[in-house]
Amino acid sequence: MKAALRIPDLRADIGDVLITEEEISAKVRELGQKISADYAGQSVTLVSVLKGSLPFMADLMRAIEIPVQIDLMEVSSYGGATTESSGLVRILKDLSSAIAGKDVLIVEDIIDTGLTLNYLLRYLRGKNPNSLRICALLDKPARRLVEIPIDYTGFTIPDEFVVGYGLDFGEYYRNLPFIGVLRRELYEPK
Amino acid sequence: MTSETRFAHASEAELARILDYYGVAWEYEPRTFPILWNVDGKVVESFSPDFYLPELETYVELTTLKQSLVRRKNRKLRRLRELYPDIRVKLFYGKDFRALMLKYGRFDLAASLSGLEGQIMPASIGQPKLALVVPPVAAATDDRAPGDGATATVRPRARVSRGSRRRRGRRAYFAARADA
Repeated sequence: MKAALRIPDLRADIGDVLITEEEISAKVRELGQKISADYAGQSVTLVSVLKGSLPFMADLMRAIEIPVQIDLMEVSSYGGATTESSGLVRILKDLSSAIAGKDVLIVEDIIDTGLTLNYLLRYLRGKNPNSLRICALLDKPARRLVEIPIDYTGFTIPDEFVVGYGLDFGEYYRNLPFIGVLRRELYEPK
Repeated sequence: MTSETRFAHASEAELARILDYYGVAWEYEPRTFPILWNVDGKVVESFSPDFYLPELETYVELTTLKQSLVRRKNRKLRRLRELYPDIRVKLFYGKDFRALMLKYGRFDLAASLSGLEGQIMPASIGQPKLALVVPPVAAATDDRAPGDGATATVRPRARVSRGSRRRRGRRAYFAARADA
C-alpha cells in the first residue's frame, strides 16, 4: 500500500537546495561541449529514459553542437503502479526508430542502484548500435548495486532523497528548476 | 528463482524479487569464506555473503541493522577484503534498503522489513527474552553479528536448521509477494 501523498508545497518541502538552477545550467553546457567534441564529425542519437530525464534531455540536446536525433523510452519500475503481475520489468515505451549502426547516448537523470540502466543496456545492445554510452546528470554511487561505467557524469551526489529538475516524489516536484533534498519527514515512515 | 529459495530474512526475499524483476541473475549464499582460524588451523569465523550476482561477479551482503550496530559486520567485511582481494563485495546497509523501498513506493516494507521486525521467528524459538547457550565453536562461526536480526537477542541460528531457516524465508517471501 502506498502512503497517501498530500498536495505538496513545492518550495517549503525542500530542506536544502543541493544544486542550483545556475549550477545545473553550467554543467549541462559543459557536458554538451564535451559530447560535441567526443562525437565530432558524427551524429549521435540521444535516448532519454522517461520521465525523470525529460528536463535534462531538453537542455542537453540544445547544448550539443553536432547533429542529434532523439528518442524516448519508458521502463516499468519495481513496485510502481505499472508493475506487472509477472514480476518482470517491461518496456512501456520502446524506441520509435531503429538504432542499429548508430552511436547512441543514453540520457539519464540519476543513477543509483544501476538496476534499470543495467536492464536498458542489455536491451539496447541487442539492437546492435555502433556504440552505446551513458550520460547521467546525477550519480549516487553509495546506492549502487550494479557497477556501470558512466561516460558523462554531471554531479556526484550524497545519499539523499533528491527531487526537482525532473526527479519526483509521488510524481510531484519534477517542475522545480533546481535539485533539492526533500524534507525527511515527508517520506520517512512514522 | 525466488520460488525455489528459502531466505533467512524477509528483506533478502524482497531484494531477490527486485533482482528477478530487473533480470539480474543471483545465487543465495552460495559460498562461505573462512576469515579467521585458530592455532590448529580450524576455521573459527567465516562470512557468507547473502547473494552472488554471477553476471556481475559481485557478492551482496544485505544488513537491515541500524547503522550503529553494523561495526562487527564492517570488520568482517574488511577482513574478507584483505584475505580475498579479488572478490567484489557490496554491503547494502539498512538505510540503503529503506531508501530502495521508498524509491519503489514500498513505504510499508521500508518500515517493516528492518532488523528484528523483518526476521521471521518460528514459535519454537520466538521468545526473545531467552538467553540461549551457544556452543563456542558454533557461536564463533556464526556469521551474524550480535544484534543482527533474531541473533540480536536469542542467537537462534546456532540451533535452527538451515532447512527451517529456509522455510521461514520462503514464507516471508510469499507474504511479501502477497502484499505487493
